[in-house]
Amino acid sequence: MASKHYRVGVMFSTDGPYSVVAGSMVNGALLAFREAWAMAGISLEPVVVNPGGNLARYASLTQELLDSGIRHVVGCYTSSSRKEVIPYFEKYDALLWYPSHYEGFESSNNVVYTGAAPNQHVLPLVDHLLRHVGSRAYCVGSNYIWAWENVRIFREAITARGGQVLAERYFPIGDTEFDQSIDAILAERPDVVFNNLIGNSAYAFFRRFRAACKAAGIDQPRQIPVASCTLSEPELEEIGAEAVDGHLTSSVYFSSLDLPANRVFTRAYEAAFPNGPATSADAEASYNAVKLLLGALQRAGTDEVAAVKEAAVHQRLQAPQGDVWLDPSTLHAYLTPRIGRSTAQARYDVLMEEGAPVKPDPYLVQSSPRYAVSPRSPNLRVVK
Amino acid sequence: MAPRLLQNFNGSRALVVTNQAGAVEALEITLAKLGVSVGYPAIVEGRAQLDLTELNPESDIVFIDGDLDGVLAMEVEEVSRQPLVPVIGLVGVEAPSRLKNLINLGATAFLRKPVHGAAVYTALFLGINQFLLRGDLKARLEGMERRRRGRRAVIKAIVDLMHHAGIDDDEAYDRLRRESMRRRQGLEEYCEEYLVRRAEAPERPASARDLYLRVDRK
Repeated sequence: MASKHYRVGVMFSTDGPYSVVAGSMVNGALLAFREAWAMAGISLEPVVVNPGGNLARYASLTQELLDSGIRHVVGCYTSSSRKEVIPYFEKYDALLWYPSHYEGFESSNNVVYTGAAPNQHVLPLVDHLLRHVGSRAYCVGSNYIWAWENVRIFREAITARGGQVLAERYFPIGDTEFDQSIDAILAERPDVVFNNLIGNSAYAFFRRFRAACKAAGIDQPRQIPVASCTLSEPELEEIGAEAVDGHLTSSVYFSSLDLPANRVFTRAYEAAFPNGPATSADAEASYNAVKLLLGALQRAGTDEVAAVKEAAVHQRLQAPQGDVWLDPSTLHAYLTPRIGRSTAQARYDVLMEEGAPVKPDPYLVQSSPRYAVSPRSPNLRVVK
Repeated sequence: MAPRLLQNFNGSRALVVTNQAGAVEALEITLAKLGVSVGYPAIVEGRAQLDLTELNPESDIVFIDGDLDGVLAMEVEEVSRQPLVPVIGLVGVEAPSRLKNLINLGATAFLRKPVHGAAVYTALFLGINQFLLRGDLKARLEGMERRRRGRRAVIKAIVDLMHHAGIDDDEAYDRLRRESMRRRQGLEEYCEEYLVRRAEAPERPASARDLYLRVDRK
């Protein structure tokens, strides 16, 4: 029998302000393609494109890919880019395999979400902070939907349990001027900084914050730790030795996981990409997305979208993080939440992990109060 | 007080009044993702078999197909257009008369047919929260109406107290207001009670309570 040939789009911004993460995502996807070359019955051709972090390029490249007959694209890191391209996938009835943690409140019938939903990243983080760190948080983020929504979910969850968000500050993507804001944070002395900055902005913030704390005689990792849902191993390497350790991250994958499937994955990844960047949660989610897609293509015997979706929900993947499978109603993945603390070697020590994969709840139907939680009355004080 | 904002619809029930099942497939699929169950009341001789008085405004939402004329007999309060439960209109023919019918039924959000999944959360969020907001405004409006009707009692109480206590209108108003606040009553309500007490004891210049009001605090 002649093998079937499928072209699959791979769309990540390997240039631009969040190119470090995107680079590891491309690597994760390509590794899965390489492993699939041995699969019986199908041959695959990844078509790699690079929008360079430019939103308009996402739209035009998506249109080009879909116009050329491609039905499946693995791609996007930021939520703004995903929202930009979804209308094209819906119009062409194609499927976007979106491999990044995100803020939820979406479930397009033309997207498979293999990254963590908010009940798999931000809610476990709130739980950990309240138990082990403190209840007064200062929030910083890049000025787009990921940070706005993730901070909203964080604020509601922590406020409902007696915690407090002292302030929220947002900065343009790529911005690296934080001195004034860091002064404001040090004046407030929160228990924790909740970071939703991405890419270069995040790395600059970590470096400046550590330096400012040191100058003020503050042991930053112990006294004002920074917690994120985004920060991955390749990004720790970018931050640099001076400020790499002691950061908390909520993630479904860490490269240090001591699991047989992860040992195989990290060895294969390092062999394939010896010059880095290191494996990351987003690289793993991209790897998983391609693995699920390939399994579904093989099972369906076609790249027609309805048949592939039907086949995809029957896949159960022994992924590097543990078992991963898709929830048929939302096309989001069952994943295993974990909390890690970064080390001087730019890796993570795992502090907590769920005992089993957690069902995705993109609309927080099972995990948020019925009514929005309003912030407590401001603490008023007399200013003379 | 800020109005309540409902954002998690888990456990709610949607009653979809339509005869075009094909146009609302995505509605049912998306509502299921949001934890909302869906029922389709039967339509017999052009009338939906749905008793709105038995619905629960905390958990039920009615979706009405605007293309079905008079399918639902619904009492909607004229001024606030507040229905018994949140109503979301399903718009097919985009004619002013059909849209007006949906407005008259108290619809607070709309979905075009055939329904597109990505539009459902927004319609639900707007529809239910506008319903809650309208309910809060209606309650405030009723409170204001009640106070407006009580104006006469306030004026009479001020005049009465001026006469009996020998004080001017500002002082009389202040005393009445202070005492109503002390009793945690609305001013109008307190003045009504004051007048009743005064009417019950016409022969005395003032009741014990009024004596209190007359004592100037040092």
